[in-house]
Amino acid sequence: MSQLTLNTQWAGTSSRREWLCRSGAGFGSMALQTMLGDEVVAEATQPLAPKQPHFVPQAKHVIHIFLNGGPSHVDTFDPKPELTKYGGRPLPMANLKTERPTGVGLASPFRFKRYGESGLEVSELFSKTAKFADEMCIIRSMHADVPNHEPSLLLMNCGEARLVRPSVGAWMTYGLGTENQNLPAFIAMCPGGYPIQESQNWQAGFLPGVYQGTHVDTQHTEIEKLIENIRNQRVTTAQQGDQLELLRELNRRHQEQRPTDAKLEARIQSFELAFRMQREAAEAFDVSREPQYTLDLYGAGTQARQILIARRLVERGVRYIQVWHGAGQPWDSHDDLEKNHRRLAGQCDQAIAALLSDLKQRGLLDETLVMWGGEFGRTPTVELPKKGANQGRINGRDHNNHGFTVWLAGGGVQGGLVYGATDDFGFRAEENRVHVHDLHATLLHLMGFDHERFTYRYAGRDFRLTDVHGRVVRDLIA
Amino acid sequence: MISMRHLRWGFCQIAVGALLTCLLLAPLTKAAPTDFSQEEIDFFESKIRPALIKHCYVCHSSRADEIQGELRLDSQAGWQAGGVSGPVIVPGRPEESLFIAAIRPAVGVANMPPKQKLPAAVVEDFEAWVRLGAPDPRTASAAHPNNDLGEDVASTHWAFQPPQVTPVPSMPGQTWSTTDLDRYVLSRLEGKGVQPAEIADRATLMRRLYFDLVGLPPTFEAIQDFVGNDAPDAYLQLVNILLESPQFGERWARHWMDVARFADTRGYVFTAERKYTDAFKYRDWLIQAFNADLPYDRFLKLQMAADRLVEATDAEQLAAMGFLTLGRRFLNNMHDIIDDRIDVVTRGTMALTVSCSRCHDHKYDPIPTADYYALYGVFASSHEPNNAPAPLRLVDAQVVNVGVFVRGNPGNRGAAVPRRFLSLLAGPKATPFRDGSGRLEMAEAIVNPQNPLTARVLVNRVWGHLFGAGLVTTPSDFGVRSDAPAQPEALDYLALQFVQEGWSVKQLIRRIVLSSVYRQRSDEGSPAQQIDPGNRFFWRMNRRRKDFEAMRDGILAVAGNLDKTIGGPSVNIVGKDYAPRRTLYGFIDRQNLPGIFRTFDFAGPDTHAPKRHETTVPQQALFLLNSPFAMQQAEVLGNRVKTPDDMTTIDNLYRAVLGRSPDAAERQLAGAFLDKARARDARPSIPQSPWKFGYGGLNEEENGIREFAELPYWNGEAWQGGEKIPDPKLGWLNLRAAGGHPGAGPTRAAMRRWTAYCEGKIVIQGALVHSEKRGDGVRGRIVSSRHGVLGDWSVHDRRQVTAVTRLRVEVGDTIDFVVDSRTSTDYDSHLWKVDISGHFHGVRRTWNSQKGFHGPLPPQLQPVVRLAQVLLLSNEFQFVD
Repeated sequence: MSQLTLNTQWAGTSSRREWLCRSGAGFGSMALQTMLGDEVVAEATQPLAPKQPHFVPQAKHVIHIFLNGGPSHVDTFDPKPELTKYGGRPLPMANLKTERPTGVGLASPFRFKRYGESGLEVSELFSKTAKFADEMCIIRSMHADVPNHEPSLLLMNCGEARLVRPSVGAWMTYGLGTENQNLPAFIAMCPGGYPIQESQNWQAGFLPGVYQGTHVDTQHTEIEKLIENIRNQRVTTAQQGDQLELLRELNRRHQEQRPTDAKLEARIQSFELAFRMQREAAEAFDVSREPQYTLDLYGAGTQARQILIARRLVERGVRYIQVWHGAGQPWDSHDDLEKNHRRLAGQCDQAIAALLSDLKQRGLLDETLVMWGGEFGRTPTVELPKKGANQGRINGRDHNNHGFTVWLAGGGVQGGLVYGATDDFGFRAEENRVHVHDLHATLLHLMGFDHERFTYRYAGRDFRLTDVHGRVVRDLIA
Repeated sequence: MISMRHLRWGFCQIAVGALLTCLLLAPLTKAAPTDFSQEEIDFFESKIRPALIKHCYVCHSSRADEIQGELRLDSQAGWQAGGVSGPVIVPGRPEESLFIAAIRPAVGVANMPPKQKLPAAVVEDFEAWVRLGAPDPRTASAAHPNNDLGEDVASTHWAFQPPQVTPVPSMPGQTWSTTDLDRYVLSRLEGKGVQPAEIADRATLMRRLYFDLVGLPPTFEAIQDFVGNDAPDAYLQLVNILLESPQFGERWARHWMDVARFADTRGYVFTAERKYTDAFKYRDWLIQAFNADLPYDRFLKLQMAADRLVEATDAEQLAAMGFLTLGRRFLNNMHDIIDDRIDVVTRGTMALTVSCSRCHDHKYDPIPTADYYALYGVFASSHEPNNAPAPLRLVDAQVVNVGVFVRGNPGNRGAAVPRRFLSLLAGPKATPFRDGSGRLEMAEAIVNPQNPLTARVLVNRVWGHLFGAGLVTTPSDFGVRSDAPAQPEALDYLALQFVQEGWSVKQLIRRIVLSSVYRQRSDEGSPAQQIDPGNRFFWRMNRRRKDFEAMRDGILAVAGNLDKTIGGPSVNIVGKDYAPRRTLYGFIDRQNLPGIFRTFDFAGPDTHAPKRHETTVPQQALFLLNSPFAMQQAEVLGNRVKTPDDMTTIDNLYRAVLGRSPDAAERQLAGAFLDKARARDARPSIPQSPWKFGYGGLNEEENGIREFAELPYWNGEAWQGGEKIPDPKLGWLNLRAAGGHPGAGPTRAAMRRWTAYCEGKIVIQGALVHSEKRGDGVRGRIVSSRHGVLGDWSVHDRRQVTAVTRLRVEVGDTIDFVVDSRTSTDYDSHLWKVDISGHFHGVRRTWNSQKGFHGPLPPQLQPVVRLAQVLLLSNEFQFVD
């Protein structure tokens, strides 16, 4: 773990504290085990200490690359030769109901090619990412419930389309804690602001607020604009060090009369963590510390920067990372799909390839689950103009919840695999259908949880991420 | 035991004394199912049910930690289904019944109960009962619903039974207890072999009372007055003063706002209006209600049905209904809005998780789905009038009864359920509501003194706020899966007193805080720690960390900055431009709640919040160390208490922040801190920034800088001569991150200055770029204070590399990047980005002029201010003993 070396650099820590921090658990949890044996209090004083799941996990970290707005599967990872034949003609099946009316088949303007030993077919939009086809497990039979952004975003992120429920990342950090107390456990990067449905996408719901994702607007590069209160311009590090030294002494004297209260010790610890976090967070988000060849590998632009940051965070032990493409719904190509998808994929293809390559080279891919996808896919048929709905160009696709693609890589999934299939045109998932709940059950499984036993009691019920649904798709697991 | 729910729901105004009599003496009126005679049922109720509860339920009912042998004896269905050994009772045939074999001393059968023999009379009763055919009224067709597991928890679960009057235990020979409440608690403690803690000292009690009653720290002077007050009722006086202070209402309104999932916004909306502009009126109403000690029954009724209780023009009172209307709006999905209202009402007032019954009968509690839709109909029959002068209210609308949504699906509806109250409390034949939507009838049923839940739930919430933990650990779930109260007699005593004393919340609080239980010390160290480490039985006070509001309000208060204005619209309390108002007035955007709220465990405003989580994370420390709020308050505080004499300053600081004087060791520590801080500040150190932005000119003959003045005005992006450009004096002169523009003439060159803070060797790289054909371009020079001009370039519509190699610098040396206009000042905008890099004591560092560009820097915190901040950070300030 990288924090082993980083933590020791601060000479101000006593050796005992240093050891405790390095052990990852901190004093709070240890004090409680020995003094009180009270897990409930430990939960409160060290809510993010690493915890063991139900069984040995295959993945320790998740990087969720979220192409919000809905990337078109038939233009990226789900080739449909039959659709090409029906380009410009009505499909020989009824168009399924989606958000808006759609018309004739719209052949993909992008060329598909086979990649890797597995020969997975991927379109030119992700030709660089496709070089890692043998690491990828492409689920072509995803389906969700409704063709609208808001409920589908909530379903994909929180397992429930309308009501307030914790997000996947919040569940993961609640269940697993994190390996680096000096950084937030769950980070949601989104350049330019919020996606649709905003911070509900990474909400803690009824779980304690500490499990909420920390939103980072990666449009900025200055650390103080990325993480609140991370930098102090009015005292120097040395001056703050003096303050904390006095604080330690005052707290020690206060604690002498109250020796067994773990909450007091936990709060003392939190200042030491905060002191280190100031430097470590600044470092973690500063990609200029990377060598030039790494910067070149990821390429230029915001997507490249935030995907590189994702790797730096995984390396430092952050548990759950979301990389949103941007504010609003960038992948929502209701019209000019060819132009827009080409532009959007062009912004992230190289960086995603670099991420897979980089993680693999560092030996991190085995323990990091990379997930790519949106809240749904897009229709194989062309969206018809509707007042205020598109600009009447008749060259885009509508939302499609009936069938879409999500791919996984690393973290214990089987590489070089295509799982499930949509119909001949890519409208509806037909073979080995995988609902979003099934995806969640599988994610939890890879992280070491039985999704039916991983619960939180709230308002009289034991809640689950998968509610009463979900089955683990075992065929995906290596 | 008497089941209140079978008494008629009366609207008769029962005098409290009569009510108690009624509770104690009312005859049992359980309706018998038709299969059994009244005698048989009476036999079951008088002999069998009590024996089952006493001897069997511990292992064979919903109250068991784990059901033994999978056998349940708390319902007819339970023993009919049997356990791992099959059915245990054959009605009419005791000799064939495994149950009878087990309770008789016999060989070959596991004897029950395992550790003690039943009295012979009880065994005989059971035999007689089985012989009678095992008449058991505990069936779903009985007078109340069972839960989804078929258990008759309605008649066994403690919370569904009326509060019991227990005679006050006599405690001869002890002096610790001072009130009846104490005697109930002490009796339990003695039963556990636990000694209660001693009574805390007065200063501790004062801080505790202030925290609990008004949420603010007491001043040093007030503590001194109280500690020195010899009056026998000094403590009572203090309690009364705090209960009557207007800040009491603010503190307790905020507690209720957690219950009411208060927010200033509707939640996610796409483009529609997000704010509830009138939400604050509900908050104002709450403050006023707590301050006026509005009886709790009236308090609840107004929140649910003010439209029926006050004039339609009484906007102030109608705002009470914000309780219902200020929830999340789920993109106007009516089913979810109603679900939220059912939830806030039932969990908030009665700690019943009725929302669990939206899709199927409650798995554990006796709440069938029909009950959910009976209440659903009440809300579906109410609507929010538009453009009303009272914007938060609901009024009755067209009355509808709603069919059960099968599995929660609105497209699949069963038979319509009449609007009525919960069958658990009103019985299966609950009279349907007749009065409009039924909201008022629902509210009246909730506050009916015979409702076993409402008073207990409120008492438990109040207790939780005063002790940091409830008597029942799940304040919004009193269902069968909740833990029984640790001090049931105390809970029931307080609940009964509460109703008897006219539902007075202030009197309830007064009763509790006057007790010895409340006034205990908070030390953990005693032997009791071994027996009850979690303090479930309240053998000491819990030490508490200040909640978000008390933390922030406390800092503002001790700094002397708190704006004590009461009520009014919500204000911003985050970021740089925060209002110094009490935290409860902060604007709550439930959709994107600012991180600071989450960081400090604020109640999530999405749904009703039973209690706050309490977590400790470094982001809390970061806020207190680095936020503009924390530093500004420390600054105001430090400057306020500062005197020429350090020891006086330190005394002032301790008194202001901690309400006490420092001891000698503390004075010495703080004094040493100030000495060290001043010594550190006097030493040259890494400055906040090595860059300065100014103008001036060169002394051509002496090959150096003649003058350098910092540019006076910052416009958010650039330094310049004044607000408007061109400036009368400096013209177009300005400096930006990547470049700038010189002024006219040799003394108005733009100058970017870098100062070395330690000695070393540097190199300078960069390029000066002028991209304009018109004019005559600019002249750039790099000038060292030690070595003079290092480079001199004239640039017109081209790019010029500006490099300086291997230059030695000493501490305080300056390097200036000087751009003048040459002859013409037209078209002189330019870019000049440079990197200064070098080795300083073996460490390589680079300063980039563009990255290092900045506006005015905030002033450094002075030593006294830094000391003040440390005290604000201390555990002593942040925890209440």
